[in-house]
Amino acid sequence: MTAQTQSQEALPRMAIWKALLLTLPIVPFAASGLAMTLMSGDAQLIELIPGLVVCILLAVVFFRMLVTGKTHRYRSALFIVLGLSVPLYLMPQLIEAYGTVMLTPEMTYAGKVQFCPMTMFMVLLPAVLKGVVIFPGAIAYGAMWFLLWMGTSLTIGRGWCSWGCIFGGWDEFFSRLRKKALVKHVDRKWRFLPFAVLLAIVLLSAITFHPIYCEWLCPFKVVSEFEAPTSLATKVALGIFPVTFLGLVVALPLLTKKRIQCALFCPFGALQSFFNKVSIFELRIDLDRCSQCKRCLRECPTFSLDEGSLVSGKALMSCTRCGQCVDSCPKGAMSYHIKGTRIGVSPNVARLLFLYPAYILFCGFGGGVVTGALWRVLRLITTGSMI
Amino acid sequence: MHGFLLGLANGTSCLALCAPVLIPFLLSEGDNVGQNLATLLKFLGGRLLGYLLFGLAAWAVGGLLLEAGGTQALLIGGTYIGLSVLLLVAVFRKKRPAGGACAVSEAQARLRRWPALIPVGMGLMAGLKVCPPLLLAFTDAANSGTLGGSLLLFATFFLGTSLYFLPLPLLGAFTRMPDLRIVGRFAAVIVALYYLVSGVLLFAGGVQL
Repeated sequence: MTAQTQSQEALPRMAIWKALLLTLPIVPFAASGLAMTLMSGDAQLIELIPGLVVCILLAVVFFRMLVTGKTHRYRSALFIVLGLSVPLYLMPQLIEAYGTVMLTPEMTYAGKVQFCPMTMFMVLLPAVLKGVVIFPGAIAYGAMWFLLWMGTSLTIGRGWCSWGCIFGGWDEFFSRLRKKALVKHVDRKWRFLPFAVLLAIVLLSAITFHPIYCEWLCPFKVVSEFEAPTSLATKVALGIFPVTFLGLVVALPLLTKKRIQCALFCPFGALQSFFNKVSIFELRIDLDRCSQCKRCLRECPTFSLDEGSLVSGKALMSCTRCGQCVDSCPKGAMSYHIKGTRIGVSPNVARLLFLYPAYILFCGFGGGVVTGALWRVLRLITTGSMI
Repeated sequence: MHGFLLGLANGTSCLALCAPVLIPFLLSEGDNVGQNLATLLKFLGGRLLGYLLFGLAAWAVGGLLLEAGGTQALLIGGTYIGLSVLLLVAVFRKKRPAGGACAVSEAQARLRRWPALIPVGMGLMAGLKVCPPLLLAFTDAANSGTLGGSLLLFATFFLGTSLYFLPLPLLGAFTRMPDLRIVGRFAAVIVALYYLVSGVLLFAGGVQL
């Protein structure tokens, strides 16, 4: 029997009526983009189209996830769409508001910049120790982000990185372009780099009262906003951003077929890894069913499974709960699991309970961003300008 | 007593300023609590030396040192570059096990012991880094008028600030987690690169602190 056939056999399929019923609770969240358009005031009929399309898309994809039992395939497609939508959504907005995507520190401190959740790990220490918020954005917006981040992190742990991050879709996109990896071995020690980046950035941000990662390293500045080059330091930083983007988000994911930025550099992801310890969900291997084919090790895009996992039956703390190992396991030995329950018992229930908060998170971020991006594209087609 | 209280009041800032260097360095060394304490004492020794140099400068030239255009930038830039070089050397040097079996000459043995001075050098650089608490102490020392008074103020300032460093050797309790050493080494390289770039930019006059 081929691996493909075995995989098909292992799929937990669901009856269509049952899947439809279980999709219903997702619909209000899938309509978040549509709701945003409606709340903006005198929206014309044409402006409702993107929100409607995205709402249907999100609901259909969730339904397909339930019917097919496949997680990663659909999540990945949506995640990539979200990532690629960010510049289309954000940049025209900034140009409309300020005439540029280059922001000045004054604009940041005046609270005119949207709060970026990735700054959370740099903001917390100065805020606690000195009562100073070093990436102000709008404070109320930041507080909302904090609560949202804490709530979802406690629930789905590092699942944030595969279901909530608005940037992760970029390196996921490039990691999926090639059929085969050109670089197949990455030394184990590099898995600790994100924790080092986290440690260094937290300490440096605490002493300088500046969000050091944003100011010097963030690859996604290339596809969002960046500081205006008003000094030698900002000019140097402007030279660094394309290098980190091309290296960590484009070239290395292309070569390795792994999400290198997410797995081996992102300090926010490293922070999220600690939440995997408190989240009730995890990825487990049913060792009785596992044939030790190591396909999951090869497929995992974030190096979150190793030889030790095949002995302990657990994914590493860096697991982003993307579901690729679950989808690809030919024996159906990998599954979403609720801590404290028996392995291999009701994996569908555990998966469903994980999917709800994870997908709601995705709808919350993705709904508005993808709707906004689609609206800009529609505007470009109909008027010749995104602005 | 004034210097001690000033140090005590501003010690958290001093700890925060030294932590990005000290924490990754101690983690990267992977030593136990006792060895970390010895490293910390060397670091603090270097820092005391830096403070006493400041005390000397405060007595000798008073406020002139700080008023001279560009002096601060050069001083901070220099200490940043020095710190980064020492940190990089510390990370990339080959750590030899204590009491190696090879027979070596006295001169060779002395040369091999030089890395033990790295924490002293880092402490000296950290001590010379101009920061707001140090500027306060400098102003008070410059006003004291005598060499003894100036040195005493910086020595007591050092004592007050050093109390906050005492918990750091406890990082040695994590020696059973060898992966933490890898994290420490990577973090030390990142911090070193940050200081190197900042130092060079300061020299180039690009960064206003």
